Amino acid sequence: MQNRKILLSEKEMPRQWYNILADIKMNPPLGPDGKPIGPEDLAPVFPMNLIEQEVSDQRWIDIPDPVLDVLSIWRPSPLVRAISLEKALKTPAKIYYKYEGCSPPGSHKPNTAIPQAYYNKIFGIEKLTTETGAGQWGSALSFACSQFGLECKIFMVRISFDQKPYRKSMMNVWGGHCVGSPSSETRAGRAILEKNPDSPGSLGMAISEAIEQAVSDETGKTRYSLGSVLNHVMLHQTIIGLEAKKQFEMIGEYPDVIIGCAGGGSNFAGLSFPFAHDKINGKQIEIYPVEPTACPTLTRAPFVYDHADTAKYTPLLPMHSLGHNFMPPPIHAGGLRYHGMAPTVSQLLVEGIIEAKSVTQLAAYKAGALLARTEGIIPAPETNNALACVVDEALKAKEEGKEKVILFNWSGHGLIDLGAYDRYFGGQLKDIELSEDAIAEACHASDCYPKPEILKSF
Amino acid sequence: MNKKNMDENRKENDPENKMVENRARRCPMLGGEVPFSYCIQCGDGSFPCFKVFDCWWEIFDVVSHLKEHLPEDMFEKISRWKPEPKTARLVDLAHRVRKGESQN
Repeated sequence: MQNRKILLSEKEMPRQWYNILADIKMNPPLGPDGKPIGPEDLAPVFPMNLIEQEVSDQRWIDIPDPVLDVLSIWRPSPLVRAISLEKALKTPAKIYYKYEGCSPPGSHKPNTAIPQAYYNKIFGIEKLTTETGAGQWGSALSFACSQFGLECKIFMVRISFDQKPYRKSMMNVWGGHCVGSPSSETRAGRAILEKNPDSPGSLGMAISEAIEQAVSDETGKTRYSLGSVLNHVMLHQTIIGLEAKKQFEMIGEYPDVIIGCAGGGSNFAGLSFPFAHDKINGKQIEIYPVEPTACPTLTRAPFVYDHADTAKYTPLLPMHSLGHNFMPPPIHAGGLRYHGMAPTVSQLLVEGIIEAKSVTQLAAYKAGALLARTEGIIPAPETNNALACVVDEALKAKEEGKEKVILFNWSGHGLIDLGAYDRYFGGQLKDIELSEDAIAEACHASDCYPKPEILKSF
Repeated sequence: MNKKNMDENRKENDPENKMVENRARRCPMLGGEVPFSYCIQCGDGSFPCFKVFDCWWEIFDVVSHLKEHLPEDMFEKISRWKPEPKTARLVDLAHRVRKGESQN
């Protein structure tokens, strides 16, 4: 019997996050006057200690002990040798994955939800608000808030709220208070309900309600929380890659190729940024963020300023974006809904540290089914994009006869999203190739925004 | 033609339109099945979602469909929709909250 898992003890968990802002130059986010925003502009939305992380260029940032204590419920996550997949593909490549589906909510998202809840708590915040579409982020934040005694209010788009009772249940069990949006709890929500009591809601409305409730709390004890895109989120997620580096040291290996699915960028950044640090310092590694073909944000989009949220409360952020009004054609990837990549991920692409890849929808699901039937775990739909690239790289290694070491992030399990697989096996999913005309159309949305200076750090 | 007239026009005149509106697909933002009828009203101000073209263009000719069924100004608005800067709104909201506290 061959060992599959490389495990770290809790004592061996990383004690610091890696901040890539220490090693790359970034264009600053802009305020409405076109000038760089300051921390005070973000203060109504986020606590100052997270804002400090957001703008910090300190390379290593200590992980507080109370955060490590909670993370140790499931961390360190296992590094797993995908022996069964290697055999199925008959590849000489050695394939490893970090399994993030072992967290209580089933994905990588609590890696940032936990520290965000902690930092809000020590800042004196008593309540966090957020929005959720598919329910994954709302679940993660509910779990995190329960660990630190924070109230958690989640605005879930009404149509999704009605469709996903088990997501609501998860949030409820963790003490999160999930309401369908539009709700009667905000001015914006009440205005909609007055016109249409049966409104099915929208993500833009849910985000607006969450931010309104945070910003308008006169006690100052409420803040908003976001699960991707922002620098402090990427920072928190680096625990994934930092653990992986230690685990590889234990077995005397180092990855040649690193792969992660990329929507907002947080799970990809989490795995890859610590290795990007090595690459910046001379190591030879290929690092691939993978998108669905029909959402070529990194592969084809111009580098422009864009908003991170559809309600546009968050500042303009420089990112590869097909425009604020662009969303990908039908790809079943509930988490890959951001039209714009995280600014730090975009910058690494500009620097040439990472190379964007894209895969078709059908290839993604085919790979997901293969992984489920070999390694046993049913992947989250978002993860399947990375898996398709992993299969490609493994088959390339087979052709070349090379014992490449491939590392990928298994960002979550798909046990609460099996409907997506029903559609795949029912022949209802299609491959889409976004035409240049369609991209050009969508890019017009960013015409009115300033274009970031192309900074090069090296 | 305003939004209300558009709704009435849709309901009265076009059984084929009803068939289109009942088509469903998985919303990439919400992670669940939604009908096209949801997509054409879930945007800001009950306008079509800004993603409606992106989500539906390969399933059917959504551009032609909406061009036919929406008022011209509404179609132009959604096809050229540009986000309005909202950061100033955030700063302004925070400022008004602080003013409210100091007045008390």
